[in-house]
Amino acid sequence: MKFHFQQALRALILLAFCGLIFQLHHTGDITKYINPKYSGLSQSASILFLILFFIQITRIWTSKKETEIHDHHHSHSCCHNNHDHDCSHDHDHGDSPFTVKKLLSYSIIVLPLMTGFFLPAKTLDASIADKKGGLAILGNQNKEDAGQVNLENIDESSADDFEEYSLEDNLEDFEEQIEQDPSVYEGEQVISKGEFEQLKKELNSSPVIKMDDFVFSLYYEEISKDINKFKGREIEFQGFVYKEEGLNSNQLVVSRFLITHCVADASMIGFLSELEDAPKLYDNMWIKVTGVIDAATYNGAELPLIKIKKWEEIEEPFIPYLYPINIRIL
Amino acid sequence: MIRIFRSHIIDITGIVLLAILVYLISFSSGLDLSLEIPPSLLNLNVIFISILIEALPFVLIGVLIAGFIQIFITEEHIQRWIPKNRAAAVVMSCVVGALFPACECGIVPIIRRLISKGVPVYAAIGFMLTGPLINPIVIASTYMAFGNDLKMAGLRMGLGFLVAIIVAFAVSLRFKSNQLKDPIHLTHGHSTKQRSFIDQVWSMLTHSIDEFFDMAKYLIMGAFLASIVQVYMPAKAFLQSADDPVASLIIMMGFAYVLSLCSEADAFIGASFSSIFPRSSILGFLIFGPMIDFKNTIMMLSVFRLKFVLGVLTLTASVVFITLFIFQNVI
Repeated sequence: MKFHFQQALRALILLAFCGLIFQLHHTGDITKYINPKYSGLSQSASILFLILFFIQITRIWTSKKETEIHDHHHSHSCCHNNHDHDCSHDHDHGDSPFTVKKLLSYSIIVLPLMTGFFLPAKTLDASIADKKGGLAILGNQNKEDAGQVNLENIDESSADDFEEYSLEDNLEDFEEQIEQDPSVYEGEQVISKGEFEQLKKELNSSPVIKMDDFVFSLYYEEISKDINKFKGREIEFQGFVYKEEGLNSNQLVVSRFLITHCVADASMIGFLSELEDAPKLYDNMWIKVTGVIDAATYNGAELPLIKIKKWEEIEEPFIPYLYPINIRIL
Repeated sequence: MIRIFRSHIIDITGIVLLAILVYLISFSSGLDLSLEIPPSLLNLNVIFISILIEALPFVLIGVLIAGFIQIFITEEHIQRWIPKNRAAAVVMSCVVGALFPACECGIVPIIRRLISKGVPVYAAIGFMLTGPLINPIVIASTYMAFGNDLKMAGLRMGLGFLVAIIVAFAVSLRFKSNQLKDPIHLTHGHSTKQRSFIDQVWSMLTHSIDEFFDMAKYLIMGAFLASIVQVYMPAKAFLQSADDPVASLIIMMGFAYVLSLCSEADAFIGASFSSIFPRSSILGFLIFGPMIDFKNTIMMLSVFRLKFVLGVLTLTASVVFITLFIFQNVI
């Protein structure tokens, strides 16, 4: 019997990937990384890792005879063209000697496992908002009308559904697979067209615009599109404080991150706000505010401006992110 | 006797590995490193891990398919479909590539084998360009990455196909010989027919594992670089160039090349730039990246002559650029 260290290492890595994803789902931290709508996908990845682990452990020990057979196969199926280093490049079976180059590549693979297990899942903060372009992005979004929950976009894509039917067919299996998993639905924010109209009606008629997490992105988009229509209305929402350079001392942005997929694609949305207490507030502090909608211009783009009447500090919500609403028209 | 011993040793090894992992995890929960690490690094880590978590399911599907191809599809199958006529061969190779779900990580050894079996070099290039770009997994991930929008996925596939055909034609006009660095030793085919189905499935899965470890390091490096860009590079610096369509297209194509992302997962990273860059630049990222990137170039250099690799690289880059430049001005 021969023990293969590299095969054992690979088995451990596969198991660790499975464990990492499982742990994130188990603790609920997964919502700090991805939109829960896609959690079914990552759960199946975890299961696949487990299956691959079970296959991999059979390769850790080989009898002498099997090693020979394997080498035979190896030379047939892999290295038969050029007898050079290509083999280790393209088809590394984990049997070649352990070199510095290999140590480096295994270290790279182990890196996310280490940081994933050992470092806490942090919520994106104001410094990311700043790197993402801050208010300039908010201005651009309104100017080009390129928001995440863009109503035109939704209508267009539904029209595309009709035209590109063959493409849709390809995706059907994939979608079915997702839909069969009930846990996926928990996080999925799908509403019908009727409900969507209902929400818009509420936005237009209710005495106070209450922006809860579900409707935040939708209402935000509606308000940004036609600020004048909402001028003078009372609004209530929560978010974290982000102060950008160049703002007046009484100004700050009460912002949220909208996650389409994973936090890497987070886009900042938020309202430029004015209040006397602004100097007392600091970056990343979560607040709940009530105020009146007004308009302002920033870099030539018109932005909604909230004149805050009342604010209170709150704890960071367990799910700090917003997820876009999908509208099913069928 | 040996078999019984062997199966036990596997059980024991499995349990030992599990124990090691559980020990490491419990060790980690007792540790509180959060105070010593600057928040920007923690932000970096969250973005890094999230890209990986989002990409891993697609990478796993990709390596399973790659394993399947390695074991069940022979070069003869593909070669039979390539016609003698040059134009037909180019179109055909692109179509086969589109039907053939491969990763750019695994496609270089495949095309080398195809060429060695007499497939013309231009057909192999057409196959190399469409293989990683056009396949159901890439369509699905692009569709999902852009908020369930079919338009982006459709444009990526359509324009990518066009680019691949133009490049393959240009290659057929410019390069005549097989362009391989070393002459190929002809070898006997696979001994697959003698092996049982179970054996074949088993070697498909083990091949998938090997493929995963080959690819994982490139994916992880790409995700890490992408998260560094997000955390430390202020978007404002880009925003100035984002207004200029030519500069932003060049920036995004450069990103795609340097990041060397797997085509199954790059849609998510491309989508993360969509709030900053115009759509045509994102398309440049999505189309150019799977065709040729940094790691792919290195792999190609181990097979082809330097002049040929550089030729294909500049050809592909300029065709992608010109196509998207026309696209953004017309539409």
